[in-house]
Amino acid sequence: MKRARNLLVAGAGLALALILPMAVDANGYAVRVLTLVLLFAAMAQAWNIVGGLASQMSLGHAAFFGLGAYTSTLLLIHFGLSPWIGMIASALVGGAAAFALSLPTMRLKGHYFALATLAFAEVFRVAANAWSSLTGGPVGLSIPYGEPSFLMMQFQDTRSYYYLALSAFAVVTVVFAAIKFSSLGYRLRAIRENQAAAEVVGVQTTKVKIQAAVISGCLTAALGTIYAQLNFFFDPDSVFAALQISIRVALITIVGGIGTVVGPLVGAVFIIPLEELTNVLFADKAAGLSQLVYGLLLIVIVLIQPRGLAALVGSALARRPKTSGAGT
Amino acid sequence: MTILAVSNLSKSFGGLHALSDVSFTVAQGEIVGLIGPNGAGKSTLFSTLMGLHRPNGGAVELAGRPVAGRKPHVIAAMGMTKTFQNVSLFTESSVLDNVLIGGLLHSGVAEARAEAMACLRRVGLTDIADRAAGSLSFPERARVEVARALCTRPKLLLLDEVMAALNTAEMDDLLGLIRQLRGEGLTLLVVEHHMRAIMSVCDRVLVLNFGKLIADGSPADIARDPDVVRAYLGREYAE
Amino acid sequence: MMVSFIQALLDGLMVGGVYAVISIGLTLVFGIMGIVNFAQAEFLMIGMFVAYFLWSVLGLDPLVGSFVAFAVVGALGYVLQRTIIKRVLKAPAVAQVFLTVGLLIVLENGALLAFGSQLRSVSVSYQTLSWKLGPFFISVPYLAAFAMSVLSGLALWLFLNRSWFGWAMRSTAQDPMAAQLIGINTDRLRAIAFGVGVGLTAFGGAVVLPYLSVFPTIGGQFIVLMFTVAVLGGLGSVAGAVVGGLAVGVITSVSALFLPVQLQNLVLFLVFIAVLAFRPDGLIGSAR
Repeated sequence: MKRARNLLVAGAGLALALILPMAVDANGYAVRVLTLVLLFAAMAQAWNIVGGLASQMSLGHAAFFGLGAYTSTLLLIHFGLSPWIGMIASALVGGAAAFALSLPTMRLKGHYFALATLAFAEVFRVAANAWSSLTGGPVGLSIPYGEPSFLMMQFQDTRSYYYLALSAFAVVTVVFAAIKFSSLGYRLRAIRENQAAAEVVGVQTTKVKIQAAVISGCLTAALGTIYAQLNFFFDPDSVFAALQISIRVALITIVGGIGTVVGPLVGAVFIIPLEELTNVLFADKAAGLSQLVYGLLLIVIVLIQPRGLAALVGSALARRPKTSGAGT
Repeated sequence: MTILAVSNLSKSFGGLHALSDVSFTVAQGEIVGLIGPNGAGKSTLFSTLMGLHRPNGGAVELAGRPVAGRKPHVIAAMGMTKTFQNVSLFTESSVLDNVLIGGLLHSGVAEARAEAMACLRRVGLTDIADRAAGSLSFPERARVEVARALCTRPKLLLLDEVMAALNTAEMDDLLGLIRQLRGEGLTLLVVEHHMRAIMSVCDRVLVLNFGKLIADGSPADIARDPDVVRAYLGREYAE
Repeated sequence: MMVSFIQALLDGLMVGGVYAVISIGLTLVFGIMGIVNFAQAEFLMIGMFVAYFLWSVLGLDPLVGSFVAFAVVGALGYVLQRTIIKRVLKAPAVAQVFLTVGLLIVLENGALLAFGSQLRSVSVSYQTLSWKLGPFFISVPYLAAFAMSVLSGLALWLFLNRSWFGWAMRSTAQDPMAAQLIGINTDRLRAIAFGVGVGLTAFGGAVVLPYLSVFPTIGGQFIVLMFTVAVLGGLGSVAGAVVGGLAVGVITSVSALFLPVQLQNLVLFLVFIAVLAFRPDGLIGSAR
């Protein structure tokens, strides 16, 4: 019953998402904002695997995102490789980076984990700025402009990028949901709630955490490729950004509902247009004002519900047993 | 047949000797009690047996295979698991999901779920499978914890004070469950504070004091052992 | 080679003294409230601006202005603690992290709006002065900043160990309930601790003004450095922050001998991650 209803809602949402861009200008601002909403929802969903299911507050997902953008773009520039194949390479690189990060940070909790991951992403930002011969340094990289084609992931109208982002979001969400209701999801939740109790009934903590981190890293890196193709240009400070990428995806998930399937989309639908709005309203008046408003909103959101963020963590979980009760 | 053989097991934290040269065996099908004053090292012994602490010395064999120094999940897969002193359920998950985790040790989700239902039936809790574990009463929590352990298909189960916070009637119910599990072929090592419970259910009792094993015998012998009485029973029996 | 190595060591120790003082605030706040303040480096920026304007308007030397910076930012911290931070003291880490990140964004962009993005620097008589000591040079502004840091460190030590406030703060950190029972106003104490913490960071910002320019986003250059110092010494340990500060000063200064300047931070980040991985409680002492 419950499952049928959820599928129905998902189907209706997908149908709406499919026809939505038809209602607006194919190359207009609205389509671009909607595309960003979906791209960031997808990134938040990938973060949700680590932050929501494993409850590890990563503030370093920009590392994987940036690696993804650079990997596919460098392959495209130097070897003319299709970004579709580049995206697979990106995913592999992102997964490898997530694996490497997992080893030293495995046992860290809370603030310490957040700090270590934040520094990890900063390593890449600094390195990408310094290693100009490979990355172009602070100047950044541009996607070579060619004849628009599906093969080269280049499209005439923004609407096509919207559908690309929508597909990406759908894929990441399916992966997230599959993990959540698989043995991996059960194990992650068990570790989150009580690591020792999970271990004595046979959960391999290290392996499970690494699996989650690697899957999340792969997906985030693949999304980095899509971002590069969508934006045509990026530099180290934009793709490896602590605030604009790492913290933002965590924030989106938390505002929307951490650990839930719909949370990242809800959060992105709320946050991204809000940012765009503050940009439109204030950006030309003074640099910094829209960011200031963004920061104030962040504080207000936390203060209105000091437990709200946690309540979102908790309510997702508290609700689950009841819903599973209704489902059986 | 010996299922658990512990020889000269030692564990220290910093300079503190939590366990010194502890040796004992448990035979297949036995219910063995482990008692001792607070801080005697009972929980440390369980945690060390399960691999949650790494021993400083000594050996542990489970059904003839060495387990000392191995990871908890490996030991669980080899057939030994434990429950926790302060019942440690995944409070935000349902009862069924709690128990299901144990089943994932050897099956996929669907099979584990079926096995979890079977384990809940064994402990008499089928009707609350869908409730949140955090909302349960103390006796229910103790049983869910036992069911989760059973779901790993253990040969030997370490129960760490599952009866804390239970009243006499609830305790008797749980003792019945322990006997029933033994009847089904399980071997149990039980830490408990309630002397009456230990004396009535155990075939044999081990006594720990300051990390040393000071007695090993039948409940009747233990109750008469002068060392034990001095270390521990005197006060408890006086009440 | 040996000479340049020892020179780098000397420079590193002098700069490290300042790093210690600016990071003590971070570690103090964590020790007493269990909060990791991601906005801490912004108070360094504000301290620098306070000292800068005292110099440009009143002609006050930044070394003198540093005391005003301490007072102004300390008061700001006191108010922030009592109005905002205190509400998330018992909230989960997620809420604390995002509140202080929000504060970081607000302070940085507020400064950007108020002062614009250009670099500002003071000019003082001793700015380029250095003393020759055998084959080595002692930069006077470095030395002055170091001396001021040592001074403030000593003052803090006295405050924490010899005053009623220090005793009450340690009691509050250990057991807030018991502290309340013996009549300590824990709310006010935490606010004072937060004020002192961010005030010290601002003080450290003011004393480096003779050799560093100030701009609204300068906090970003210090944030990881401060966390490295604090974590190296063990979050919550004041003595640890001193050792951590000196260590980080020497690491950055000596690594500059071998590496291009852009990669200095890289070394720092790697040290930071390694410390977190192997000694999450810090190299000396233990957290809290």
